Amino acid sequence: MSNVDRRQFLKLVGAGGVGAGAGFMLAESIKHPVEYLIPYPIPPEEFSPGIATWYNSVCGMCPAGCGISVRTREGRAKKIEGNPLHPVNQGRLCALGQAGLQSLYNPDRLTGPMLQSGERGSEEFIQTTWEESLATVAHRLAAARDGGKNIYLLSEGVRGHLAMLLERFMGGLGSEHLMHYDFAHPHALYAANQRLFGEHALPYYDIRNTRYLLSFGADYLSNWLSPVHHSLGFGHSRQGTDLDRGRFVQIEAKMSLSGAAADEWIPARPGSEGILALGLAHQILAGGSYTGSDFDDWNAALENYSADSVAERTGVAAKTIVRLASEFTKAEPGLAIGGGAVDNHSNAVDTLVAVNLLNYLVGNIGKPGGVVFNSDPVVGGPANNRQANFIAMQQLAEQARQGAIDVLIVNNTNPVFTLPHASGFREALASIPMIVSLSSFMDETTTMADVILPSHSYLESWGDDMPQPGLGFPVAAISQPVVSPLYNTRATGDIILDLAGKLGMKDSMPWDSMEACLKDGWRQIYERSSPDASDFDTFWRDVLVSGVWGEDIHRQDTVVVDKSVIDNIDVAEPEFSGDSEQYPFFLHPYMSTAMYDGRGANLPWMQELPDPMTSIVYGSWVEMNPATAKRLGLLDGDLVSIASEHGSLEAPVVIFPAIMPEVIAMPIGQGHNAFGRYARDRGVNPLQILAPITATSSGSLATHATRVSLTATGRRAPPVQTGGETRQLGRNIVQFTDAGSTPGGHSANLNSIPIVVKTT
Amino acid sequence: MNFIDRFMASWRKYRKPGYYEEFDYAWTMTIDLDRCTGCGACVTACQAENNIPIVGEKELGRGREMQWIRIERYWEGEYPNAKLSFIPMLCQHCDAAPCETVCPVSATYHNQDGLNTQIYNRCIGTRSCAVYCPYEVRYFNYYDHHWDAPLEQQLNPDVTVREKGVMEKCTFCVQRIRQAKDHAKDDGRRRVKDGEVQPACVQTCPSEAMTFGDRKDANSVVAKKMNDPRAYHVLEETNTLPSVVYLKKVSANAD
Amino acid sequence: MQTEVRQARFADVNDDVVRSLVVTGRNYYIALGIAGFVTLTCFFFPWFYQLYYGIGAAGMNSPTVWGTYLASFIFWIGLSHSGTLLSCVLHLTNSEWRKAMYRSAEAMTFFSLFVAITMVMVHIGRPWFIHWAAPYPNQMGLWPNFRSPLMFDVMAIMTYLTGSGIFIYMGAIPDFAAVRDRTTGWRHHLYVLLSLGWRGTDKEWHRLGWAYTFLAVLIIPLAVSVHSIVSWDFALSIVPGLHQTIFAPYFVVGAIYSGTAGIVTVMFVLRKYMNFEHYITKLHFDNLGKLLLLLSLLWTYINMLELFTGWFSGTSTEYEQLKYKLTGFYAPLYWEMILFCAVAPLLLISRKFRTSFVPMLILSIAINIGMYTERFLIVATTLSRQYLPGSWRVYVPSLVEISILVGSLALFVTLFLLFVKIFPSISIYEIKETMDAPKKQGDRHDT
Repeated sequence: MSNVDRRQFLKLVGAGGVGAGAGFMLAESIKHPVEYLIPYPIPPEEFSPGIATWYNSVCGMCPAGCGISVRTREGRAKKIEGNPLHPVNQGRLCALGQAGLQSLYNPDRLTGPMLQSGERGSEEFIQTTWEESLATVAHRLAAARDGGKNIYLLSEGVRGHLAMLLERFMGGLGSEHLMHYDFAHPHALYAANQRLFGEHALPYYDIRNTRYLLSFGADYLSNWLSPVHHSLGFGHSRQGTDLDRGRFVQIEAKMSLSGAAADEWIPARPGSEGILALGLAHQILAGGSYTGSDFDDWNAALENYSADSVAERTGVAAKTIVRLASEFTKAEPGLAIGGGAVDNHSNAVDTLVAVNLLNYLVGNIGKPGGVVFNSDPVVGGPANNRQANFIAMQQLAEQARQGAIDVLIVNNTNPVFTLPHASGFREALASIPMIVSLSSFMDETTTMADVILPSHSYLESWGDDMPQPGLGFPVAAISQPVVSPLYNTRATGDIILDLAGKLGMKDSMPWDSMEACLKDGWRQIYERSSPDASDFDTFWRDVLVSGVWGEDIHRQDTVVVDKSVIDNIDVAEPEFSGDSEQYPFFLHPYMSTAMYDGRGANLPWMQELPDPMTSIVYGSWVEMNPATAKRLGLLDGDLVSIASEHGSLEAPVVIFPAIMPEVIAMPIGQGHNAFGRYARDRGVNPLQILAPITATSSGSLATHATRVSLTATGRRAPPVQTGGETRQLGRNIVQFTDAGSTPGGHSANLNSIPIVVKTT
Repeated sequence: MNFIDRFMASWRKYRKPGYYEEFDYAWTMTIDLDRCTGCGACVTACQAENNIPIVGEKELGRGREMQWIRIERYWEGEYPNAKLSFIPMLCQHCDAAPCETVCPVSATYHNQDGLNTQIYNRCIGTRSCAVYCPYEVRYFNYYDHHWDAPLEQQLNPDVTVREKGVMEKCTFCVQRIRQAKDHAKDDGRRRVKDGEVQPACVQTCPSEAMTFGDRKDANSVVAKKMNDPRAYHVLEETNTLPSVVYLKKVSANAD
Repeated sequence: MQTEVRQARFADVNDDVVRSLVVTGRNYYIALGIAGFVTLTCFFFPWFYQLYYGIGAAGMNSPTVWGTYLASFIFWIGLSHSGTLLSCVLHLTNSEWRKAMYRSAEAMTFFSLFVAITMVMVHIGRPWFIHWAAPYPNQMGLWPNFRSPLMFDVMAIMTYLTGSGIFIYMGAIPDFAAVRDRTTGWRHHLYVLLSLGWRGTDKEWHRLGWAYTFLAVLIIPLAVSVHSIVSWDFALSIVPGLHQTIFAPYFVVGAIYSGTAGIVTVMFVLRKYMNFEHYITKLHFDNLGKLLLLLSLLWTYINMLELFTGWFSGTSTEYEQLKYKLTGFYAPLYWEMILFCAVAPLLLISRKFRTSFVPMLILSIAINIGMYTERFLIVATTLSRQYLPGSWRVYVPSLVEISILVGSLALFVTLFLLFVKIFPSISIYEIKETMDAPKKQGDRHDT
């Protein structure tokens, strides 16, 4: 018998060792290199590593003006929370507000001044310096001013001291052409308020204290006016009080997010919501609860709006109309609001007057839970009188085409994206010799600029804001920088002041910086309002620390409606583009929280946030009624072509149970062809194919007045959805109950472990 | 005690859900479905707070979502009476968690605060916890994740960034709870006050649909809400004893 | 090679086996080369790709976090029950016909377990930490979680692997001794090592027989428990469709079923390519066929039970499972499985079918395809349709997964090919027990 000899044994051991070594090397190669976590071994003085510093400021992601508290660590912004002291949002914040961090740290931010080096729209720019670019612009503006040529400034809807600076700047240039352009500005609502209440301003809609909200199309929880504040109010009205649970009714052709939260969703024929409102008004008068002196005038004016007649014109059952009116009247109080689609038909102003009328007839004006008028803003003047409606934008385009505009300055607004192609706005820009942009991002409008003077993010800037609509009492907040500027950008206010200095406007704009301008302006607020602080510096610091300032001043107004208004109360049938044979569907483009008017598309968090109602991410789609889909033989994910008289788009079908059969809905916000890597070449923009129909009396674009045709392309392009099956199949995941909470009711006997509560 | 008695005492101790006689705290969250609007602010706040990766369109197309709290939507009825309900679904921190029993390396366990915790650096990625979870709230890192510079400057330094092969899920913002407990200790208090610590989702919810607190404290908001007749647990029949209490949505009927 | 008419002599057995070890034709090298190449390109390269980039290379998603890797794992564990059955159970029932096959079957067992363990390594997210699942002393005082069915798996499979390994080795010691005496060179040295100085004394034979029977008795409950425990990876969850008490018997029956079908395949290959026509005869296929039929009927019964209980429960979740299996996205796979595993094996009722070699081969492969489908469906259909409808999602395996599946088969084949050239793939001494002893005085008494 042989044994294993020593040589053989060693060979075996050696082989094993090599194998083990190889395994170890493999494991090491898979691990990642060590990264260093602490950036500053010797930190600067302003912060202590490991301890967060909080700054209060104002959110700049939408016009609502919520107060924010930003948590910074080692000089970097880490998390945005709502400022608990700010009365608009009271410590809460919406998804878009949270994503402000990605606007600050966006990889596609413009990092310094640039000059156009190629064709407009080619995105070919070369870097330049501030001295050079400011000098170029100032020189050009001076030349235009001296030569009597037209200078236009098109800005997003700014408020506060920046608005004042823009006014004075344009005044110093001798130009009347200062326009604010916000896609979502409720022009028709302002016009309706002017007509019925006599002032061109937005009141405060006290959803919090109302017991019955009748919303005509207003997506108040998602993007109408001040969604966070409305959500707070909604939650409180529902389950936050000991009173009866608030009831919410939504009237619109396609269920919005607010429609999903509502107790009742009532589809009315597109554009007929105003007729429905007048029908309700008729019922309210018939019910006998209105005791105003103008009762007879109203009764006469609303003669033709009986329940049956209105039922026929709107598609809402007469029984429902009577019931709604009765419930609305009986509520203590009820509140009616209008927005969304209702704000965007040709009869928008008439419709919103009718909605306002409902509030008037139940007498909730000036009362808690109703419509409360706001005082004048503290500073800056109401910015709404500068808001350019669609007609004004068309006039701008026409002026441009005629060569009447010499210089156009654009500040952080994107009309090239939000205006329909039919307006010819982008083409008209070609005729303007000099376009200056103050944007932070290369959006569609910025690609048309010759000089870019990029602005800071709102998190890097000084500014102030008075939220709009107001809250029924004056509120103002200061926006302060929370981080040092990341790039070679400047605050918008500082850019304007710099140019003003170069153009010899030191008299009207003597400040060196936006911060100085603010301090000066707030000194006046300090003097006028006699606060607790002993001197201005303490006051200033107190405002910065708390993040908000307010005054307990309320307006007590009564409303008297002009007889001519009463006599002319009427809602015309809505006007639509295209004939109903060739274009059988009504296009319903809608805004979401995440995308808003398209500004959220370059934020990856917003692209990844599934649409609440369809759970779709990263794309566009068209929603359609199940019966319509069946009739056309379409399945979820089939690619269809949607065409209006002014263009066509392709998008996949999503079958949606809560939309009228003749209506198709598309989300707004995608379809960019610039604006950074997350936004570009993704989805389609329904605003492109809209017809240039405006609302009568307000001149605003009626985005819901376009008829479209829908044809299958035969291809499929299923959108990316994070959600699965949408029926519960009897599994009781979301459970319902008939009754509201009974405070102090019996224990639910939950299947929880018993917790031993220590008595010591 | 003789051997049998000792054995039975030990057995009983380990059979108790949560395996502790008493929790230090019993963190509980309530979500009122009558107030939830489905807006998704909680989803984004959680992403910001917890360094949740941006998955991207391609991977989401393959079904690899990464949202520690997600909004599930359910339709009832048909047009024109269709109704849509939202329910935020996050880790329920079950006291009888199916996921805890199955992890072979004990990377997930129940801690003294009643939280179901995930230890990222112990996880070897068998993914059995995700299979066992009936709420499907566990998410696996299929790839290493990448943030386009300078987005990574926003990352929260109090929270790990997870590597590929590791499972993650909602922690009730344990970093905030830990900080709150530290502050309480610094202040000389022994306990965290009700409302002092809120996870990111609860803090940002615009309709105040969510509350968070310690159900051991009989005066806390959550303890009171648990006594609401509308309170229920999702998938109660699986007996997981979750720490998230939902309040039923009210469907007031109209005639 | 002479036909079965001529009675083989004792010495012929040794000759045949030694020849199968030593004489290597070109075909063998080609087969080994191909198998090795496929293993490298289809198993190892995709696996390294996956190790580098992450499990995302596979097709799993949320919530279908398990996919073909786990299905393969269970399939290979199932295949490993072949050896146990043949070696141990049939040994205890004194079945003569097992003697020609059991060595290869045991090898199948061992290599199946080995491949199954590599599938686990492929499946988990951070396999470089897999040693944490083993209870070893460490400075942190950490133990793995013994409550976990995956830990039971680790224990059971390691025990089974060890047990099978000892069993196959120990049973082969006399055979190593036999070939030791007839080989030269490195083989001789190897077999000297492996035969542990076996001399063939009465005492040694007596002890071997005793130890063999002892292990055989031990391994049977081990095998049953291993696959029951593997089934409890699923059954101890509360996922509808997985949380069923039938799982343990279901998996054990399925394992024996697919293992037996695997043996039929291997026996066909061995018989044809190793010139073992003498030893592996129609009788063996006939008996294997009968066994397969019995197992097929059992398997069909259990499947019908599953459908019945799903329907009877009346709960939305179970009913949905049922509906989804029969009519959902994976329904074609389900019906294919029924065809291959429940319908086609009914052919085994015919004796003619059972004793025809090529049809048996085809059927055995079909059964194994069906059984793999069954494992896949268990994973895919149940995870796609759990409690919350809002999380339902379909899973489709990726190219990397399919490649690794093919590669694992190639790995098994490679290992088996190496085995037949190193291990005596038929048990020499047991075959001799079925033959008449040499009668003439003076014949060499070969061990």
